[in-house]
Amino acid sequence: MRVQDLAQLSTRMFKTNPLRTWLTILGMGVGTGAVVVLVGLGFGLQKIILEQIVFGETLLSLGVSATGSQNLKLDPETVDTFKNFPEVQDASPLARFPALVTYKGLTGNVFIQGVEPSYLRYAGITATFGDVFTDDDAGDTNSIMLSPATLKLFGIDDEESFVGKKVSFRLLVPAEDGSGDINEVPIDKEYTVRGITKEQGVLNALMMLPELRNHVGIEEYERIQVRVDTNENLPIVEAKLIEEGYRVTALSKTVEQASKIFQGIQAVLATFGGIALIVSAIGMFNTMTVTLLERTKEIGIMRTIGASPKDVKNLFISESIVVGFLGGISGILMGVMIGGSINILLNIVAGQFGGQAVSLFSFPLGFLAFIAIFSAAVGYLTGVFPARRAATLNPLDAIRYE
Amino acid sequence: MAKPLIVCRDLSIIYNQGKSNEFKALTGVNTDIYEGEYIILFGASGSGKSTLMYSIQGSLPPGEGTLLIKGDDIYSYPPSERVYFQRYVMGIIFQSFNLIGSLSVLDNVALPMIFCDAEKTTRERRAQSLLDRFGVGHVSHKIPAMLSGGQQQRVSVARSMVNDPRILLADEPTGNLDSVSTQQVMDKIDEINTFDKRTIIMVSHNAAHLSYAHRVYYLKDGYVVREVVNPQRKQIKPVREGETIVTELEQLARLYPYDSVDTLRVKSMVNFLTQDYTYTQIGRLEHAISLFIKGKIDRDTFIKGLVLKHEQGGVEMQEKEARKMAHTTEILMSQSDDIRRFRAKKENDDIFFSQHKLAERLRDHLMGVYRIKLNKKQDEHLVEMIADRVTGVSEESQFNERMLRGVRNGGLGLDVKEADELTRYFEKIIAQGVDVSYKS
Repeated sequence: MRVQDLAQLSTRMFKTNPLRTWLTILGMGVGTGAVVVLVGLGFGLQKIILEQIVFGETLLSLGVSATGSQNLKLDPETVDTFKNFPEVQDASPLARFPALVTYKGLTGNVFIQGVEPSYLRYAGITATFGDVFTDDDAGDTNSIMLSPATLKLFGIDDEESFVGKKVSFRLLVPAEDGSGDINEVPIDKEYTVRGITKEQGVLNALMMLPELRNHVGIEEYERIQVRVDTNENLPIVEAKLIEEGYRVTALSKTVEQASKIFQGIQAVLATFGGIALIVSAIGMFNTMTVTLLERTKEIGIMRTIGASPKDVKNLFISESIVVGFLGGISGILMGVMIGGSINILLNIVAGQFGGQAVSLFSFPLGFLAFIAIFSAAVGYLTGVFPARRAATLNPLDAIRYE
Repeated sequence: MAKPLIVCRDLSIIYNQGKSNEFKALTGVNTDIYEGEYIILFGASGSGKSTLMYSIQGSLPPGEGTLLIKGDDIYSYPPSERVYFQRYVMGIIFQSFNLIGSLSVLDNVALPMIFCDAEKTTRERRAQSLLDRFGVGHVSHKIPAMLSGGQQQRVSVARSMVNDPRILLADEPTGNLDSVSTQQVMDKIDEINTFDKRTIIMVSHNAAHLSYAHRVYYLKDGYVVREVVNPQRKQIKPVREGETIVTELEQLARLYPYDSVDTLRVKSMVNFLTQDYTYTQIGRLEHAISLFIKGKIDRDTFIKGLVLKHEQGGVEMQEKEARKMAHTTEILMSQSDDIRRFRAKKENDDIFFSQHKLAERLRDHLMGVYRIKLNKKQDEHLVEMIADRVTGVSEESQFNERMLRGVRNGGLGLDVKEADELTRYFEKIIAQGVDVSYKS
């Protein structure tokens, strides 16, 4: 039998039994829809995490800080030592001082962080609004970046509008006599807010390290980002630093762990979806079996007028593939529609409450294509047994079946 | 000598072999069917005639014996290869048409070609031309359910011919059809045999179809009990001189299709012993009487036909005998009119012919014919008996019994011979006068 004839013969059920056919497709659709929604949720969650992290240099960097227990200090010499590691390409320090920030007469506590532009790259700090410091800005003396939480101090909801505003600082520096007193060092100028970072839950203001040095002497760094040359050397350098007594955090590890967790979540979600899919596949199998009984006579007729057992088998299999595939397509449509509308709804709610817009559901095209093919495969599997039975029916018994 | 197209040797088919409900549907069947023959497998239901046909068709493997088609044992092939025979060698027609309801008439006819990978245009052209040929071309785009039974069967004839098979199998093709459609379908099948020279194997239990066939295999209880050659058709099967000859039995078999050979021999003998006329003469006499009682020929023509010589198509009987027959027939027919009037009375009362009057007239006629004198009491009883019998209150045997019964007990007190003759004569009149409607 030619393919086009097979296609024509195996889509007759839409004409002869439209209700049952569409209901079967819908049943399959609900099953695959469940898979699409749940796995889409997994993809979405993973994407939310990964979107917050800048790839590339960030993943090849190690955050190094002193543990405090051992007598280790992070100072300019340490930076040079790190830079001299054969596997290390660069090292970039961060100095931190508590400070008071003032905007239009309102004052709050923040940390001023002095960094080089490369630190931002290695630590993966990016701007939600405005600009981030680039290598050209290394000598900048007039602008700073703020974390979103800082704006809350001033009761500002619209983060974007704060870009370009001017704020002033007073540094809080510990007294050098070791008395534990804290001296207030006012910085007698206003800084322009050039960007808002993505860092959540911290009160940070970023300024260029040389500019910070203009106002306060820096003996010790809070943290150093070490940029390793290749991915393979990452664990080597990490081990070396830990051995020396430093505390090391690697973003790549966090990402890896997060990915693993989300793969786990995805697997759990897919299992639930899979159960729904199995239920609908059983329903479809049942329908195919009933169809077989109903069409026994027709099979007998076809066999006596020259259909080979293979023709009959192909007819049944292609019918169930059509149903399965259409079920998959309708499931994809349903799933994407549900996920999409929840996304839109969440974004509206987030917008209302001033939160960040996120896509909770995500549907990669490859995944959708896989689902379409997979549902056709499920169709094939549910059709193959009834089809095999149909093919082996004795034509004479079949034709007399009522 | 030409080789037969289909050969069955000691063919036995057993259903449910080895199980408790084992059933032997065919036993030791031997048939030779030649190219171009029209064969009818005849028998009552359960005789195994369909079993034999489906075995030839390839759906019922024989338990024992061999079945060869064109010298090939089709059951030696696996089902996937056996379809070759079903596609290119055999076409099939069923009693219940078996068209596929979800396909158009055209697609139904083209379906066997779809299985043969034919091009759409090729097969549709072929299907349409066949539909046109069988007079159903104008409905080709309807679905089968919208067609009459006769049309559906002609569609299925077209379907069976679409791959131009050499053998056409037909499983009681007219079983579900009215007489007009039956005639159309039988004519088409006959045309396929005589014009297209295809071999026909038809399963039937309708004796009226036997005249179409070259040969008829009579089946009973799984055995082929008789093979009858149709003397009206030129035989294709080569017959060695003297091997089989056409006898009176063949003629009788068509009159009494369900009887065994033994019964037919008995019938032949009884006919010879009791009747002066041959079967041919009886056949012609029946024809003449049929025309006469329907009023299509008059008395003189009737008599002339009976007297006419055998070679000229007459019955060749004595003129005196012929006149007597004409006379008796006329009397019976005129009296039967009274029966008809009597029975019609139920619906409307006619003052000129009250039922009583009609019964009295019938009584007078009976008395006249058999010259019997009855007293007043007997007269009354006979009128009552006639009325009862004609209205259906009493049956023939009760009528006869009351004639024998004493007058005091409401009978006539006739002797056995008189009573029997009278009853028989009266029953003849009733038979002519009562309208019979057979319930089907």
